[in-house]
Amino acid sequence: MAAMQYTVIAGCGRLGSLLAGDLSKQGHSIVVIDRDETRFTNLSIEFSGFTIAGDVVELEILQRAKVDRADCFLATTNDDNVNLMVAQVAKAVFQVPVVIARLFNPAREAVYRELGVATISPTKLSADAFLHSIQTSNQSQV
Amino acid sequence: MTQAANRYRDYLRARYRCILGYTGLITAIVGLLMLTPLALLFFYPQERAVAPAFLVPGLALLAGGLILWRLLVPRTGATLSYQEGAVIVVLAWLVALLAGTVPFIWLLKYSFVRAFFESTSGWTTTGLSTVDVLATSHVMLFYRSAIQWAGGAGLAIIALSALAGPTGPGISAAEGRGEQLVPHVRRSATIVLGLYTAYNVIGTVLLRLVGMSWFDSVNHAFAALSTGGFSTRPESIGYWDSATVEAAIILLMLLGTLNFLTAYTLLHGKWRAVIRNGEIHVMAFLIPLCAGALFFLVTLNLYPTLGKSARVAIFETVTALSTTGFNTIDYRAWPSFGWIVLIVLMLIGGGTGSTAGAIKQYRVYVLYKALVWEVKRMFLPPGTVTEPDAWVGETRQFLNDARIRQVALFVFIYLVAFFVGSAVIAAHGFTVQESLFEFASSIGTIGISVGVTSADLPQAVLWSQIIGMIMGRLEFFTVIVGVGKLISDARQMV
Repeated sequence: MAAMQYTVIAGCGRLGSLLAGDLSKQGHSIVVIDRDETRFTNLSIEFSGFTIAGDVVELEILQRAKVDRADCFLATTNDDNVNLMVAQVAKAVFQVPVVIARLFNPAREAVYRELGVATISPTKLSADAFLHSIQTSNQSQV
Repeated sequence: MTQAANRYRDYLRARYRCILGYTGLITAIVGLLMLTPLALLFFYPQERAVAPAFLVPGLALLAGGLILWRLLVPRTGATLSYQEGAVIVVLAWLVALLAGTVPFIWLLKYSFVRAFFESTSGWTTTGLSTVDVLATSHVMLFYRSAIQWAGGAGLAIIALSALAGPTGPGISAAEGRGEQLVPHVRRSATIVLGLYTAYNVIGTVLLRLVGMSWFDSVNHAFAALSTGGFSTRPESIGYWDSATVEAAIILLMLLGTLNFLTAYTLLHGKWRAVIRNGEIHVMAFLIPLCAGALFFLVTLNLYPTLGKSARVAIFETVTALSTTGFNTIDYRAWPSFGWIVLIVLMLIGGGTGSTAGAIKQYRVYVLYKALVWEVKRMFLPPGTVTEPDAWVGETRQFLNDARIRQVALFVFIYLVAFFVGSAVIAAHGFTVQESLFEFASSIGTIGISVGVTSADLPQAVLWSQIIGMIMGRLEFFTVIVGVGKLISDARQMV
């Protein structure tokens, strides 16, 4: 187990809840924020962190989650704009060392990079996987 | 169809391997704990003869538990759900209670029921006892304090603090310690155990400073902070008859009954959140009120000096509310009013997430808030949005109908059990007052007595008190869920 880290996760959908459960199982301290309280039912039984029901774009909610003390901030809401904004706030206002945002639209990646926010784009990842599969199947046919 | 049933059976078998494995881990911890009284042989070498009564069960549990754990739990560890946690808690408590009887049967030659009663009273931090403490070895007395210490911390918290404990919050939630201090269950358990150990060290030194011997200090610190209440003196704290000793014990009892989360918030200097805390309000209201009522209506005419009357009033209020069960006087001389004040305090009990028992102040506070909310709503227009809240730790939580329903149902089942148990005692020829007092003391894991609990008590009364203590400590639902799951799964697997 790596050293214990304090991670704040914005958004408790399929991705956010999965990350929260896995990180919690590994022994990290986790706080998950979501606007909709019913989404916390997505969390697995491995999760032993805290949940906060509230809007992540509000500074007060981030303060309550003690983002200022976080080692890592993951923005996984289903809205690119929200992810960008809260990731920027986490980086600039709260000075979190590691900030990663999910990004659906790969066209915006350049903008994010300029702002110093690391991104992971499921769209781009699946596109790459598709291309890779096509190439390997082409090669095997030749 | 049969294939699906087979698959389910295989799944259940795999889960029960984990469940038994972690029960083994807790068994090993219980075994280790039973060996700790032997450390006292360094100071009291003349008591060497008692050693086998601790060595044999301790080593057996340690070895058996470790084997179960190593064989059954996968190397990667496992995550437990609340229901599985409940099964482990029920099994582990059974093991602990049964193992706890061995020294009583071996050394004091008690019958099984009586030994089981003593063991349960210790583990559940009740403190009712039929032991003649003057004729008992130091090692045995310390053993009683040690099981109260562990029962106060909780087997789940101790198991989670162990490096190899299970992951997930299932088991601590099942033992009624679901509230966490920090957003990870194991770290939270470690901090709780650390705080508790620090309390005990400070408490021991404090009691030594106010005039107890080292041996009495350790035992009384353990018993006060676990809100257990076993004493090494037949007169309990009354033996010292000293204002400073009583003040120190009151402080420790209050610390024991304080929610660990509140203590942690306090340690971080967040006074405001603590002042808003509902449990603090309940204590700040009840202690002066009840101590005042006891002083003017009960103790003022009973004791020779004003000072003694005031001390008794305050001490008995705190011992009942904190569910500790030390006493400084004999309640049999008290008028009925004093008894009813103590019964009400015993029913309310201590803080949630502390070592205390009974209904608990948080639940009483929630019901009070809900009542005020209901009345207020009657005066407001129908569509008004209201938000009743309660402060827990440093966060504000809102009360919703689901929460209030849970709390109300718990209070209902608690009171039903309270009256059934009292009826059992009354059926054996005790008065209504005695029955209510003694059973409130059992089910709330308090331990003050009006003389019902004695060595020659009928078996049915002892058993009802035993069941009351276990149900009170594990908060009913865990026992119901754990036993229910065991029965239904056993049917599937056989």
